[in-house]
Amino acid sequence: MRIHTACLLILTLAASVLPSGNNCFASSPDSKSNQVVQGAKNNGNSPVAAEDDLDEYKDTAKIADPLQPVNRGIFWVNDRIYHWILKPISKTYDTVLPKPVRTGIFNVFDNVEFPIRFVNNLLQGNFHRSGQEAQKFGINTTVGLAGILRVSDRFPSLVDVPRADTGQTFAKWGIGHGCYIVLPLFGPKSLRDTVGLAGDYALDPVSWLFLINPHAAWTLAITTPDSARSLHDRLNTYDSITQNSLDPYLAARSAYVQNRKKVSSQ
Amino acid sequence: MKIRNLFLLAASVLLIGRAACAVTDDASTQLKSWIDEVIAASNHSKDRETLRINESPILERSINFTIMTRRAVGPGWRQFTPEQQQEATKLFSTLIIRTYVAKITPGEIPSITLKSGNSPSPGHVEVPTSLLYKGSHYDVTYRLEFTDGWHITDVVIEGVSLIANYRTQFEAEFQQGGATAVLKALNHSVESKE
Repeated sequence: MRIHTACLLILTLAASVLPSGNNCFASSPDSKSNQVVQGAKNNGNSPVAAEDDLDEYKDTAKIADPLQPVNRGIFWVNDRIYHWILKPISKTYDTVLPKPVRTGIFNVFDNVEFPIRFVNNLLQGNFHRSGQEAQKFGINTTVGLAGILRVSDRFPSLVDVPRADTGQTFAKWGIGHGCYIVLPLFGPKSLRDTVGLAGDYALDPVSWLFLINPHAAWTLAITTPDSARSLHDRLNTYDSITQNSLDPYLAARSAYVQNRKKVSSQ
Repeated sequence: MKIRNLFLLAASVLLIGRAACAVTDDASTQLKSWIDEVIAASNHSKDRETLRINESPILERSINFTIMTRRAVGPGWRQFTPEQQQEATKLFSTLIIRTYVAKITPGEIPSITLKSGNSPSPGHVEVPTSLLYKGSHYDVTYRLEFTDGWHITDVVIEGVSLIANYRTQFEAEFQQGGATAVLKALNHSVESKE
């Protein structure tokens, strides 16, 4: 019986050196899955073997890219447009409008985009998050003065609700990326997310204005700040990814695929 | 006797759980101290050059650039001579430090909240953090490994792994011209931004 007890103890201890799934050991979804760590005596604080990990990131950012020559061409044109046209516009917008005003504009349009997040959470069967989005919209539209103030951030349960979009819904339904596409102005997308973009557009109340009267001055007056408000963040992200890269095209593609993987797993 | 075995098993699981949590706590504490150092260095820097000078020793101490570079290159690393490996590591570390410093504005203090870490495999710990900087919120996960102490071996920002991002680029260069092409591209990238 003592041997039995000793075996039990050894088995339990052996289990401790294997990756586990409880709260303290929860495994990451991607890169560590194909990792082989040598040395069974490793108790969690001993050095990691050096020669076992060269293929660790092999499949982290894979996507079919049969249109690469065309994509690179569009990427090059986009890059010039970003630097020569959009950056000056973004800088002017940031200079002319004080930060509180910019934040207010951002909040209003973010609040208006509520249907995209609400409907997609419903389509994903995530009724809890749909409820959170509805609460956020209700609070910010009323107490937050038509969304200018993001009052919902004062409620811990409504802070950092992951965003939902149509491309993410397709991913949750098991639809793969398809091939990689660089869209003029919009930049990196997969085939799946390009279709998803159309879904987001259909669910965005701001784009409905174009259906009502695309040539009206007020349509332009409303949609222009909507475009400008997200420009700063988008250009900042673009710079972070492409600056100091060896190949900006590959860096942007890799970052896009990895980020969408994270979004799809939320 | 069965009850005794059951008790022993429960006690062992509890002890192991505590030990594993202690490992993640060690790594998290170490990470927290580096973050504090980086913030303090940023506070004492009046311009970007001073910032680079102040931050570089902290980053060199906290990041294992050798592991980062070999994983970013992938299996092709085996075909690098020791001299080429050394040069690649040096150039890559220059690039990473520069990327990091470029994103920080001296004196602008980020708010970083460390969340509960996890250990995907022995000697590896992942610490998710929430970063609020210049009004924008980012999810940043630090991957640490225990070699001769805890070191950062990857940083994942909004799901984008620094190593995986460079891996795609290094792989393409390596397929075109081996180690020489990788080093040439690295040199070009370092020189062109100086």
